[in-house]
Amino acid sequence: MNLDARRNVILSFIVLVIGIYLFRLFYMQVLDETWTLRAQEIAEKRKEIFPPRGVIFDRNGKKIVTNQTYYNLMMVEDSIQNLDTAAFAKLIGWTTQEVRQRFNDIVKGEGTYYNKITGKRTSNYQKIRAYPFLKELTLEEMSKIAPHLANFKGFHEEATSARNYPFKSAANILGYLSEVTREEIEEDHFYKPGNNIGRAGIERFYETELRGVKGIKYIVTSALNNAIESYADGKYDTTARQAEPLKMGMDVVLQAYGEQLMQKKKGCIVAIEPSTGEILSMVSAPSYDPNLLVGKRNISSNYPKLATDPNLPLFPRPLQAEYPPGSIFKLVQSLIAMQEGVITANTGFPCDKSLVGCHNHPSARNIAEAIQYSCNPYYYMAVRRIIQQGVKKNNFADAEYGLNKWYRYIRSFGLGDVFDTDVSGQRAGLIPNSKFYDKWYGHHTWAFSTIRSISIGQGEVKLTPLQMANIVAIIANKGWYYTPHFVRSIGRKGPLPEFKKRHWTMINYKHFDPVIEGMRRVVNEAGGTGKMARLEDILVCGKTGTVQNPHGEDHSVFFAFAPMHKPKIAVAVFVENAGWGGTWAAPIASLIIEKYLKGKVSDPDKEKRILEAQIAYKSSN
Amino acid sequence: MRKEESLTANLDWPLFGAIIAMLIMGLATVYSVAFNEEAPSLFSFSEKYGRQLFWIIFSLFLGLLVFLIDADIYRRFAIPIYLSTLVLLVIVLFMPAVHGAHAWLGVGSFGVQPAEFAKISTSLLLAKYISGLTVKQQTTGTVLTASSILLIPMVLILLQPDAGTFVVFTSFLFVMYREGLTFDPILLNFVNAIPGVRYKETWVGSHFIPILFALVLLSIITLLLDAVVFHVNLFSLELELSGSSGVIFGLLVIYLISWLLMQRFSTRRERSRMMVVLTLGLIIASAISFTVDKGFDMLRPHQKDRIELFLGLREDPNGDDYNRNRAMAAVGSGGFLGKGYREASVSSVRSNHVPESETDFIFCPFAEEWGFVGVLILFALYLFVLFRIIIIAERQRSAFNRIYAYCVAMILFYHFAINIGMNIGFAPVIGIPLPLFSYGGSSMMSFSVMLFILLKLDAQRKDVLR
Repeated sequence: MNLDARRNVILSFIVLVIGIYLFRLFYMQVLDETWTLRAQEIAEKRKEIFPPRGVIFDRNGKKIVTNQTYYNLMMVEDSIQNLDTAAFAKLIGWTTQEVRQRFNDIVKGEGTYYNKITGKRTSNYQKIRAYPFLKELTLEEMSKIAPHLANFKGFHEEATSARNYPFKSAANILGYLSEVTREEIEEDHFYKPGNNIGRAGIERFYETELRGVKGIKYIVTSALNNAIESYADGKYDTTARQAEPLKMGMDVVLQAYGEQLMQKKKGCIVAIEPSTGEILSMVSAPSYDPNLLVGKRNISSNYPKLATDPNLPLFPRPLQAEYPPGSIFKLVQSLIAMQEGVITANTGFPCDKSLVGCHNHPSARNIAEAIQYSCNPYYYMAVRRIIQQGVKKNNFADAEYGLNKWYRYIRSFGLGDVFDTDVSGQRAGLIPNSKFYDKWYGHHTWAFSTIRSISIGQGEVKLTPLQMANIVAIIANKGWYYTPHFVRSIGRKGPLPEFKKRHWTMINYKHFDPVIEGMRRVVNEAGGTGKMARLEDILVCGKTGTVQNPHGEDHSVFFAFAPMHKPKIAVAVFVENAGWGGTWAAPIASLIIEKYLKGKVSDPDKEKRILEAQIAYKSSN
Repeated sequence: MRKEESLTANLDWPLFGAIIAMLIMGLATVYSVAFNEEAPSLFSFSEKYGRQLFWIIFSLFLGLLVFLIDADIYRRFAIPIYLSTLVLLVIVLFMPAVHGAHAWLGVGSFGVQPAEFAKISTSLLLAKYISGLTVKQQTTGTVLTASSILLIPMVLILLQPDAGTFVVFTSFLFVMYREGLTFDPILLNFVNAIPGVRYKETWVGSHFIPILFALVLLSIITLLLDAVVFHVNLFSLELELSGSSGVIFGLLVIYLISWLLMQRFSTRRERSRMMVVLTLGLIIASAISFTVDKGFDMLRPHQKDRIELFLGLREDPNGDDYNRNRAMAAVGSGGFLGKGYREASVSSVRSNHVPESETDFIFCPFAEEWGFVGVLILFALYLFVLFRIIIIAERQRSAFNRIYAYCVAMILFYHFAINIGMNIGFAPVIGIPLPLFSYGGSSMMSFSVMLFILLKLDAQRKDVLR
């Protein structure tokens, strides 16, 4: 037996194994990219740095939305050693069950993914990663926990930023942030789980403008996910950039004051600067502190309370409460009638109460008086002339022709549709045209007598407070408006171009003078319905309104702009279930005007009366 | 006894040089992987590299001691050395467990693993026993005696438990094979029991051990690749191959290479005979691979689970798969040229993605830092060391020396194959170090002593004749 040949068996065995290994290593290291990618996944983290959200200023440069540092209590399961659950629960003020539940929620909340290497569904949750156990603690809360964290290995604090609203007002305008949903993450890869996204209002509309540019830092990490060093000395890193600040047209002091005036009442205030279309204030009462909806914890505890409040604080009244406009519509009807030439500024009609009910006042001899007295029969007559112009022989066809003509005028006031603007959640209201009534009554079965209630702003016509405020702005401007909007400019780029387009109504400017004169008289002449809006040294033009409410007491409404020459503010005030327009809405409007123009209020008694009033408001206790 | 001329007379410099080169490479890798900025000096003994340097110096000192002692004592005292090791292996079972194994003997932080030294003493006794036999004495009795020399320490080691060292002990079977001590006598007993059959030897019995290992290797590779699907892009033809077909494809490649080599190097007469052997081998191996693949699929689920767990194909509660996955990521991300010295991002001790990256998984940082080129150099060095030891073995005039040398070669090869295999997904994760490379005192000392005994035996090979 030649044993020496067996040496070759052993040698070839060694060569074979080394050969196979080399093939395998060549495949793994040079040919197959899987492992390189896997290594990157393991050790090189692409850490995204989210800048604090852009801040928001009001028209006077007051910071109304800022960011505040909060703290998350982070947990790394792998680092947890001998956790005394009872002591930990006591530290954070929970029960041990809640602690366990929270832990399970974190694990489940991460979902699963398909692992290419093992070919199995694997949980996204990783024991070595840090997850927020408690979110958005204030400095105070954290300072109670932090000193004891040394006893609980695996837990640490981490700073994070959240919204802060120093003026505690304008919640309905600014909106709020909440955590992104899975769908939103899939749709826009900017977001990572746990990020916040604008949920409503300005925060939502200007989400992309406010979120800024996130920075990317490539780092080499350890198994505990601690950063060890930056990758390639930070060659590929980009820095995070905070978004440029938004400047709003809103006057936050006025907004806060409006909310204060409307306390214990339901309703709304909309104030617009006529020369720019900027919304100075938009109160939806009852209002609430926007800080109530900062962070997950606050949202989950406060949102249900707000949503179930019988006073409906979350209902955006200025945008979605559609009211028949009432007397303010008489201003518009006057303008259309004059433009159509069916009446002149000096046309008078007797106050014929057989046509439509009215209160006791002398017959109006001209437009100004008609407005001053808010004479219903006057507008019955005037609007009948618009609708039934006698162009068509058939009375019904004539009404159809007249109504559609009227409709075009009304539409030129921006009514009957939502404004194309940064005010989200608007409703369109309702301006009827012939098609609407054809559907309702049938073709050529209706005439002015059928639809007469629209002449005094009742019946089918419905407008939102924002639209009504814009009507006042149009009158103040004598025939044109800029789309009402919240944000004036972003960063240093100057006013937003989309809001610099002037919209003209179909009314010649000269027709506005008698209407404005009538509005002056409403406030400033003896016997005017809006005398409670009168101010010492500011010439206020106004119009009272009473919105009929089939469910209870009528709503008190007042519209005004001031000063009469060179108007600076147009305002609409609604107080729900407060009865006649002159009693509550008029003084509130005057306080708003005075506050805005003067910065202070000259009649403290008037203010006190408003502040103390509680109207149709259900107290929670 | 001849008077010593000098300590280094007759020293096999190539092997010695290769050992020193390996020690330096290992130390450099430990330095890289365990680097601590606060103690950058190689001599900081608070750090692992400082301690590794100490172990290297201490091991070289032990090597010096080995060189001062006459080599003759190893043969003479092989039995007492073996027995005292057995005693230590029994004592260690009663020591407190460290990491779940009763493997450490010692006080405080200084401990030794008797199992490491059992490799040496078993090598010595096996060499003594086999060298004392003649070919005619190869009977059932001698085979069983030789086997029990291995089995007794193996059982004691398995009790610790230390699966890694247990597997390493099967390397001695190759040595027995090399020396013609095969399991043929046992097989013949069965074969000749059949009436009318009278064989003097069987081919299967004589080559039982390599055949067995080839089968085990083939089966393991088949199973490991079972879950893998190869994407082959041959010119414009895209193929998806299952794991077992990949193995068969690999066998075909080996067959073709062997055939080409044969055309070039063998004589015409040998060729036809070898062609038959090769072709038969290919067919049988493919059939086995195919059978193992299909047979595995037919196993019951819990049996499959157990095998998959052992091979590390399955995530298990102990996290072997996690370790292996990380290790493979580290190795695979090295690329062709590597990430550069001290640039290992996955396998440095600081990042701790690969556990034990300075001991059992030291190949990871090496492969990650030096890439495929570094791997080639390391493999070449190992191949050189193994071949050199076999050359040394073959030039010995005493059977004792030759058998001992083969033992050393096979132990080194086993450690190499299993350790690297762990890193590339070819072997289950059983903790055995990479010789002369991994951090750790016990393995460093035992491998040094083992190699220096070999060098000493080789240096004195002419003396033994007298």
